[in-house]
Amino acid sequence: MSVPLLLRRAGNFLFNAVMIVFSLACVFPIVWIIYSSLKTKDEFMLNSVSLPHQLQFHNYYKAFVEGKMYQYFISSSLNSAVTVIVVVVLSFCTAYALSRFRFKGRNLIYTYFIVGMLIPVYGLIVPLFLQFKQLGMYDKFYTLLLPYIAIRLPLPIFLFESFIRTVPMELDEAAHMDGASTFYTMTRILLPICKPAIATVIILSFLDTWNEFPFSLVLVSHDSFKTLPVGLTNFYGQYTSDYTTLMAAMVLSILPVMAVYLAFYKNIIQGMTAGAVKG
Amino acid sequence: MSRSPSMKISRFGLFGLLAPSVAIYTFIMIIPLALSFYYSLTDWTGGPTKNFIGLDNYKLLLKDSLFWHSFKNNLIILALTLVIQMGLAFLLTTFFMSKALRLKEFHRTVIFFPVVLSAVVVGFVWQMIYSHDYGILNAVLRSVGLESSIRAWLDDPKIVLYSVTLPLIWQYLGIPLMIFVSAVHGISKDIYETSELDGCTGFKKAIYITFPLIYDTIKVVMMLSISSNMLVFSHIYVMTGGGPGTSSMVLAQYAYKTSFGSMQLGYGSAVTIGMFIVSFGIILLFKRLAEVKN
Repeated sequence: MSVPLLLRRAGNFLFNAVMIVFSLACVFPIVWIIYSSLKTKDEFMLNSVSLPHQLQFHNYYKAFVEGKMYQYFISSSLNSAVTVIVVVVLSFCTAYALSRFRFKGRNLIYTYFIVGMLIPVYGLIVPLFLQFKQLGMYDKFYTLLLPYIAIRLPLPIFLFESFIRTVPMELDEAAHMDGASTFYTMTRILLPICKPAIATVIILSFLDTWNEFPFSLVLVSHDSFKTLPVGLTNFYGQYTSDYTTLMAAMVLSILPVMAVYLAFYKNIIQGMTAGAVKG
Repeated sequence: MSRSPSMKISRFGLFGLLAPSVAIYTFIMIIPLALSFYYSLTDWTGGPTKNFIGLDNYKLLLKDSLFWHSFKNNLIILALTLVIQMGLAFLLTTFFMSKALRLKEFHRTVIFFPVVLSAVVVGFVWQMIYSHDYGILNAVLRSVGLESSIRAWLDDPKIVLYSVTLPLIWQYLGIPLMIFVSAVHGISKDIYETSELDGCTGFKKAIYITFPLIYDTIKVVMMLSISSNMLVFSHIYVMTGGGPGTSSMVLAQYAYKTSFGSMQLGYGSAVTIGMFIVSFGIILLFKRLAEVKN
């Protein structure tokens, strides 16, 4: 092998090594939390960086059962599941009507929803809190569902609307000729075609809802209605010095997100970054 | 669609498809937004009395040093994020373009991962990293013999703002990076091949070819970054709550504190709207500057 080639190989190797170190450093905070949650408290106090001598799951039991993280887990799961289902159904129906029929006010309604993507949701917290208080809707099992659904609507409507537009109208017409009802055409013909868009909507709505914090902080006060992020802040108040249990609680709350990410990272990265690049 | 759709639907059917979304959306997003403007013109503190006081809250806001202090903190966080995160993302983008880089899929998956985590978890993770006795940051400094640089990262008013910015840069690095990478993919390969033939490689290629060609995308990403950084809340709420004192107070945290900490609902609404106005102002200013530069 010639010397320049060797040098280039060495350079490439070094370059790749640096990038690997950088990537690992990026993910290390999370890895550290995960393996530390498997250590005993004493082991952690003695050395906070070392790997666990022996894997033990007592911290998880303590966080999930004794620390009652399970109730936040249930609440987050219910809120996310209902939100995702309702968002998909409502936004699909709305997008179908907006893209397939011409009627008075069609453009107005479309714009009305799209404007929602520009509304900074933080501005809604105070007035929504007051509105819910006055209407007796504060701190109920359905309280969080309403803002979660409403805030997530504009993006899926936009996505579905543009997706359905790419599907030829002849398909609907043919179905109509064969005697299919509007409802049948919508659910049995267009819905299956929209699968890729539905997947994106489901994943992104799930992540948003699972991670949401300010509304859950302000609009509910019953522990069983609070979602995981707020549950974590409560939990932190009780277990301030018990680092390993805290870490177990954190890992529990990110496990579903990690699973979804590993399964769908391509859709997620694409869904979260698309739109910023002008074609 | 140029031709008029031929499908027919009954008024009732159309209503059924649209009404639920319009209703819930109006109730949760539009009405509160309108009410928020109204509340900001009152002296409401949550009790039965609510007097209309015109623009008094906004006059107060102009002289509210804590509001402007929070605004300044937002600007510092924003400036650091724009420079460090965007710079790093651009640098990594040029690395991603290199044929020598292996495991691209791995790098991109790993670097993007923190984006999907909740802000609260990220706040707690970093609180632990910064922990004085058990945090990995101090542990690393100790192990390399830099005991003298050990700090109370989140308790020292002089550095706390930088300490709370780092997690933001870390968590969202994947977004500008992946947007830049996909923008670069859109650039024709011919351009690079020709430029390489002309001896343009490495940093020259990055600065004279990649940068101008994705400049529009960079602008869009910076605007996204401005709007999210001006409204940052959860991370700071978790890590410091704006403290120690008010040294890491940001606008959203201040709005929250005024509204729910001291129940000044009228003034809190004015703070929130003030926050949007200044954020919007920054975006407009940025747009103006970016156009001029072009």
